[in-house]
Amino acid sequence: MPDVRTLSDGIFEVTKGKKQLATKNLDPGKTVYGEKLIPVEGIEYRTWDPRRSKLGAMVLKKFNIPLKEDSKVLYLGAASGTTVSHVSDIVSEGAVYAVEFAPRSMRDFIGLASRRKNIIPILADAGKPASYAHIVEPVDLIFQDVAQPNQAEIAARNAARFLTKGGYLMLSIKARSIDTAANPKEVFTEEVKKLEQAFEPRFEILTARDLMPYHEDHLGVLAKLKE
Amino acid sequence: MKINTWFGILEIGSKGEVLASDPFPKNIRELALRSLSLRESRQNLPPEGFDLKAAALECKFVESPSEYYSLLHEVTLDAAKIQVSEALTPDQRIVQAVEALDDINETTNSLSERLFEWYGGYFPECGLNGEALALFIVKYGSRENVVPDDPLYLKARDSMGAKLEAADEALLKCFAESVCSLYERRKQIEAYIESSMENLAPNLAITAGPMLGARLISIAGSLEKLAAFPSSTIQVIGASKALFKHLRERAPSPKHGVIYSHPLINTSPWWMRGKIARALAAKLSLAARIDFYSGKRDSSLPEKLEEKIQKIRALNPRPPQKRPESGAKPKKKRRK
Ligand SMILES: C[S@@+](CC[C@H](N)C(=O)[O-])C[C@H]1O[C@@H](n2cnc3c(N)ncnc32)[C@H](O)[C@@H]1O
Repeated sequence: MPDVRTLSDGIFEVTKGKKQLATKNLDPGKTVYGEKLIPVEGIEYRTWDPRRSKLGAMVLKKFNIPLKEDSKVLYLGAASGTTVSHVSDIVSEGAVYAVEFAPRSMRDFIGLASRRKNIIPILADAGKPASYAHIVEPVDLIFQDVAQPNQAEIAARNAARFLTKGGYLMLSIKARSIDTAANPKEVFTEEVKKLEQAFEPRFEILTARDLMPYHEDHLGVLAKLKE
Repeated sequence: MKINTWFGILEIGSKGEVLASDPFPKNIRELALRSLSLRESRQNLPPEGFDLKAAALECKFVESPSEYYSLLHEVTLDAAKIQVSEALTPDQRIVQAVEALDDINETTNSLSERLFEWYGGYFPECGLNGEALALFIVKYGSRENVVPDDPLYLKARDSMGAKLEAADEALLKCFAESVCSLYERRKQIEAYIESSMENLAPNLAITAGPMLGARLISIAGSLEKLAAFPSSTIQVIGASKALFKHLRERAPSPKHGVIYSHPLINTSPWWMRGKIARALAAKLSLAARIDFYSGKRDSSLPEKLEEKIQKIRALNPRPPQKRPESGAKPKKKRRK
């Protein structure tokens, strides 16, 4: 019988031979990206590959994950939904507003979104939050993984519009998408500074850690609105 | 103040309370289309932090949060599907065709090489390769079948090649047939790209040539993106490896990407190529813009380009004293 340990609300460590990160499958019987399904006492767990997901890596790097069963999340950069699927598992009674601007990725994502009622897919540019202001309600967490040079600004614009007072921002910063030539450490320091003071609203950084060994040259950041 | 939401138009007070509401009918497709039409509107946006779900409940558009979410889910899904299907524009078909062509070329080359190696054991003197070899094998199979009036008859008769057994011959013939049909397919795709370019991007087609034009659209991702690129980018499209090296190691910037294959550049002497590439890129950029925004053919484009090139030739008749070193001294490296 596999052993299950809770790491955070809706996030588990399932031990079956080896320890694996997992969420409870909201869409039983179905896998999304070739992950494993592990049934334990009538509950189906879906393993979560930290190498395929920045958020998964952040869990293993001991970030506090501010998600509950009924959280509302704005997810920027959904791609084909690898990570969104796990967020959807975690906030089983909440909602994930998932923004992606590449029609080709959205095409793959739609199949996933149509099977999970708590996903609200939005094909739009995350840099223009006004274009989905008529759809998105205030959220508890903004998760951002867009790999764009202006990501700090994108985060601030979305936070201004959609983040509740006590809400959080999590983002993954990819050094190479900011400056292909510079030293990643310098890029990270710059980007964190931008989050803290370059735009309105400003953020207070709670945790900032690299995502090694799961993702090279990536920094994970957890922040909240500065009071 | 009046605000637009996906479920209706609301009149709200200063604290965000709903004063009056005009909810839309609960028809998924209609709501999806309305939602799409609101994307570009900069007016009547809900204020920052406005609680749409609470408002929808307050104005009785829905009875419960779960009804709100299930309706919103259906509507956004429908809207996203509409957007995805609209994204497949005619230029995307050209992009697919160019990529298919690249795949076919790669496959054809490697299968042709295989055929050459394989048949070489039985008739090494034939001196054919590529499509000609494939056609020869389909026609004759073993060199014993070569007819006397074929130019290769004597070579076939006197060949040092091994005897081709019936089973091997059958296999080789089928394999050669597959190679032939790939060559056919290649011609078909090329013809498709040429005629599509004539319709979709006539100016790019005459300035760049249809294949190069299609390749530029394909690398840029769409005609719209190509039209939005500055000409300095068009000049280096397809040189991304060299460009990356330039950024990282401060290597000299690449002078030309795929436009290097344009006859105006590759038939010019080396010292003019940079200048010609710049002139060509400027005209290509113009051509892409005309194609994207008006679609009308401007037949003066090639002439103007030709004039410009003549000027460059006249002004640079001789090579400069020294050929520039290929690796200009790297400046300070920022990364160890
Ligand atoms: C690194 S991938 C995200 C991977 C995804 N978060 C996961 O873990 O499954 C980045 C995605 O962001 C999208 N993206 C980039 N810029 C964007 C923008 N301005 N608005 C919306 N999506 C964007 C890209 O199309 C790409 O799909």
